[in-house]
Amino acid sequence: MSEDKDRVEGYRQQSGKLPFSRPGSGGSRKMSEPRDEDKIANIRGNGGHKHDDVVTGSAVGRPTALIDGRWKVTGQAQYGDDVRLPGELVGRIVRSKHHYARVLSIDVSAATELPGVVAVATGQDASGRFGVLPVTKDEHAMAQEKVRHVGDLIACVAATDEATAREAVRLVEVEYEELEAVHDMRQGLENSEEPIHDRGKYHIGASNVQKRVFQEFGDIEGMSANAVVSHNSNWLFAGANHGFTEPHAVVANWDPSGRLTLYTPQQVPHYVHRALADVLDIPMHQINVHRTFVGGGFGGKSDPFPHEMCAAILSRKTGRPVRINFDREEVFWVNRGRHPSRIGMNLHADSKGRLCGIETDALIDGGAFASFGHVTTYYNGVLHTAPYEIGAFHYTGARVWTNKPASGAMRGHGAVNSRCAVEVGMDDLAEQLNVDPITLRLANLLPPHSATITGFRVTSIGMRECLERVRQASGWDDKFRKLPDGHGIGIGCGFFISGSGLPIHWEPNKFPHATVHLKIDMDGGVTVHTGAAEIGQGSDTVIAQSVAEVLGLPLDMIRIRSRETDTSPVDLGSYSSRVTFMNANAAISAAMEIRQELLEAAAAATDAPIERLVIGDRRIYRKDDPAVGVSYLEALHKAQEDKGALVSSGAYRTPPMGRVHKGAGAGIAPAYSFSAYVAEVKVDIETGQTKVLKVWAAHDCGKALNPLSVKGQIIGSCHMGLGQVLSEEMKYGRNGHLINPDLLDYKIPTIHEMPEIVPIIVESNDSEGPFGAKEAGEGPLLPILPAVCNAVYDAVGIRTSELPITPDRVHRMIEARCKHEGVTPLDLSSPELHHSELQEVLEARASEHASRDAMRATDPDPSDYNNGALFGFDPEIPADEQDERWVVSVTPSSDYMESPRLAGSAWKHTERRHGGDS
Amino acid sequence: MRMPPFELHTPSSLDEALSLAGDLQQSNQEFDWVAGGTDLLPNYKWHLNAKPHVISLAGVPELSELSETHIGAMVRLQDLADSEVVHPLVAKVSSMVASVMIRRSGTVGGNICLDTRCFWFNQSEEWRESIEWCYKCDCGTGADCRVIPNQNTQCVATYQADLAPVLMCLGATIHLAGPSQSRSMPLTEFFELDGITRNVLTPGELVTHLTLPDDVSEWRGDYQKLRQRESWDFPEAGVAVLWKSGPDGSPSDLRVATTGLESIPGFHSAEAIAALTGWNGGPSVDELAEAVRKAVKPVLNTWYPPSYRRKMVKVLTKRASSGLLEV
Repeated sequence: MSEDKDRVEGYRQQSGKLPFSRPGSGGSRKMSEPRDEDKIANIRGNGGHKHDDVVTGSAVGRPTALIDGRWKVTGQAQYGDDVRLPGELVGRIVRSKHHYARVLSIDVSAATELPGVVAVATGQDASGRFGVLPVTKDEHAMAQEKVRHVGDLIACVAATDEATAREAVRLVEVEYEELEAVHDMRQGLENSEEPIHDRGKYHIGASNVQKRVFQEFGDIEGMSANAVVSHNSNWLFAGANHGFTEPHAVVANWDPSGRLTLYTPQQVPHYVHRALADVLDIPMHQINVHRTFVGGGFGGKSDPFPHEMCAAILSRKTGRPVRINFDREEVFWVNRGRHPSRIGMNLHADSKGRLCGIETDALIDGGAFASFGHVTTYYNGVLHTAPYEIGAFHYTGARVWTNKPASGAMRGHGAVNSRCAVEVGMDDLAEQLNVDPITLRLANLLPPHSATITGFRVTSIGMRECLERVRQASGWDDKFRKLPDGHGIGIGCGFFISGSGLPIHWEPNKFPHATVHLKIDMDGGVTVHTGAAEIGQGSDTVIAQSVAEVLGLPLDMIRIRSRETDTSPVDLGSYSSRVTFMNANAAISAAMEIRQELLEAAAAATDAPIERLVIGDRRIYRKDDPAVGVSYLEALHKAQEDKGALVSSGAYRTPPMGRVHKGAGAGIAPAYSFSAYVAEVKVDIETGQTKVLKVWAAHDCGKALNPLSVKGQIIGSCHMGLGQVLSEEMKYGRNGHLINPDLLDYKIPTIHEMPEIVPIIVESNDSEGPFGAKEAGEGPLLPILPAVCNAVYDAVGIRTSELPITPDRVHRMIEARCKHEGVTPLDLSSPELHHSELQEVLEARASEHASRDAMRATDPDPSDYNNGALFGFDPEIPADEQDERWVVSVTPSSDYMESPRLAGSAWKHTERRHGGDS
Repeated sequence: MRMPPFELHTPSSLDEALSLAGDLQQSNQEFDWVAGGTDLLPNYKWHLNAKPHVISLAGVPELSELSETHIGAMVRLQDLADSEVVHPLVAKVSSMVASVMIRRSGTVGGNICLDTRCFWFNQSEEWRESIEWCYKCDCGTGADCRVIPNQNTQCVATYQADLAPVLMCLGATIHLAGPSQSRSMPLTEFFELDGITRNVLTPGELVTHLTLPDDVSEWRGDYQKLRQRESWDFPEAGVAVLWKSGPDGSPSDLRVATTGLESIPGFHSAEAIAALTGWNGGPSVDELAEAVRKAVKPVLNTWYPPSYRRKMVKVLTKRASSGLLEV
């Protein structure tokens, strides 16, 4: 063969003995070529990165089609509802008709006798409690004693076909004793005769308060005293559902070897794995959770769900596979969407245009179960302690149970609503100070490598660049307060965690956040085992890219095995925007281990010193003499001589971070993403209809490993956020019923409502992120809401404090303004801006801070910077250690309790264990 | 979602369809006609008044004729939207119905006869059971109306179809056929205020076609539709204003009709005549808009609150009339 004739120098292959050595896997070039440095992703940006040395220029930083895309577009991807097993039964769920009731009896006899019905199960078949958070397990597979919302699970049936199963559900007779339901979240703060759950000694009074948070940081006393302007608002946010394409679907199969396999479109297979073991009372090793393709998750498929338990229980009872598919209405019953919220937001600015205080009071409506609510309650406060440097932070938060479908985690978990309130408040402060709102933000940003007032360690910050780029791209300076009436432009910012710093189920130092295994056998392809859940966001692709990048391989040589808990390392799955940061980091370290073995083999084969060798496209060669080298396969086979397949394991865990006060762990993350959006809108002054015309969306994702999917995430986030700001709303009727559990009346924007989005990727090169990357999945949602609200203000001068801004609400506010000003809608003028003297002060400070930030971003070892330096404190020491007026407190004082705010009033109750009860 | 089982009949001529209907009636079997099925079948999936027999009109060729003055009941909405022979406003309104996929299936007859809608009614069986049913589909319980409680006499579900107002304003005549007789009437007389029966169709009768008068091309005007999204959504309010211009440019005849506000579309002849008398341009339009606003009485059973829909009727009327003020 001609290939053998001009084989390169170095280790010589024995022809014919290595059938895998062919162009493709071995690389098509016979001679090494110097690497094209232009093709190597520029991740050096700000002063180098720890992964610079392993960059080969093969995969990262290029727009890359998702590796499972073809499966989807050719219809071969198997989603939950596509799984079909021999002999399977169809399961259906018997659901509560009442908002809140005691289940007195369940008569399943008629259902059981129906021909075709194989099994009926009730709460008696599994009494184990579960819940996504170990501290708040308050769910059961089926009702134990009470049902807590319309649609709550009472029993389930398995039958030979769907029609029979549905008929059997009709035949199950349930006797209820109705209890007084709680629908208004404010009512949840009060004592109740029959609280929705009983948390024993941890129960808060006799109320329905599930979680309460009190936090005070900074100069609380000086907050109002130092303020020259203040913004006060009381927001009402409607609940939102994820609206993913694929309704929940699950298949459980108790196989002949006595093990359970659960096929489910899950974002977090590991949690359902644990919960199944709890509920079914079997060891975890007897369960295999098989994640199918996921037709959209957005947080709505990250809890372990009761219907998953039901399928497993029915399968155990019948010895046959059992499939349960949801109707869309059932998706709304299980919900876990964005909390309906009442948020009081006060912002204060001092004479120098500094934010001397943020006071947030967030009452959030948790519905019937805890879900992720413990965390949501914190996130509503702590996730707006950046990107601005603030003088004080006062947060009271409470989550209450009500008799509604449970709220939970949804894209931008806990941060979205309060962020909207903060950013609209910033706009109002700028208005009151007569300064440009972008300048106001630029003059108040925390620098890179700083600590927030709550002690979060923030590493890279691309906030400034985001703001500057959207300002420029949108033509802000020519448009803001200058567009014709009814036409407006607005700005909003966002800040989000890039991976939750604390694993929910274990100490961060006891077990890694993420583990990735690699295996390379003789064929040269790399098998990657990871538990990161591909939910359409590109998880498999980014891990494949990371491995390909380190090993210098084309993407089609990487195959991801991320489906089954039997084969994948334990992983926390896809939530809190953690996958790119944590799993790609783990994948890189696993790949680096194999890379080292390959380099050693190549060194042995070529006699070149290992430090002189580089990896290019399927070749390893001397950097200074590319003619000397071996193909990837040659190096691989050399490395395999004594041990066969190369295997490695890489793990990621977060560094120690944060402070020590109660709740200090909520909101800490190894890195944070930043974003700034400008939205341009047109408001129909007569009808109140808002049309978003264009959005300029800058997001700091650290480093875009796959710019195509980063842009996709930005555009998708805009769509989702626009839904929440414009039209999406879970509406509850006068008797507490959810009146729009379908996609005709739950108004997700269509293509007609979608404006042009200009995605702008900002790369701040995070020092700990994989190749510098941070998240891009959730943070990009945050700014669109306030950007639209602020643009509506610019257009018609109305300051909304209720979402969504449906036309009837906007119209009502326009009417109110007209009445106030005594004019007709068509004569309304939009707001104007005449800069005050402060504008120049802020511009000067912003410019000074810009150079400060540039220095700190490139400084390999920047000095400590704590929130408070802007107020004159030594940046290297937390301000509360320098000034006793700067407090750190997590329990309300008796003074505060004399006139608590809405959510703060949750503290009027005494936890039972402290009240003498047990 | 699963439909309850039913027997599907597929006649291939109008006569066959009518005799099938007659036979079913004689044997006291309830049935529905199905044309495009875009409204009926979702309602069946929700178990809303489903019948044991369904007669499909898909194979009946007589009902698909389309010309300037004749619109067959089985003409697909998208074909109507794309048509160059029908009045341009009819085409425009048709293009505003639902989404293109629904329009390719949905028909003119189906749109005219669209069932009324209400958020207490258009829900799954389990959901409705949880509110103990409602008057429009009481499942034999004699349930009360959930929109206006304690008035068990009339269903107030909302008629949310787009085509009727403009066809009413164009003076359309609707033609019905039944097992025993055929009859015709002005479209304005076809509807009868009741959210359950909604029109004069008797069991076994169907709409065969609509005809438009010869002067149809002399009418100008506009239709304005209020909805949250520009696709899919049913009209929360819809106003058609059509007029004929006199020699001096002012309207010589004026008609106004509304939809999406009550259980049947509204034809506002008194309000239009009042505006036409002593026509005065802009102020007349304002008076007309205010009069139409007063004439409609929406209730709380659709996406927007009734107070807003009512206010918007005024705005929509003005906007639909804007052509009247162009010189």
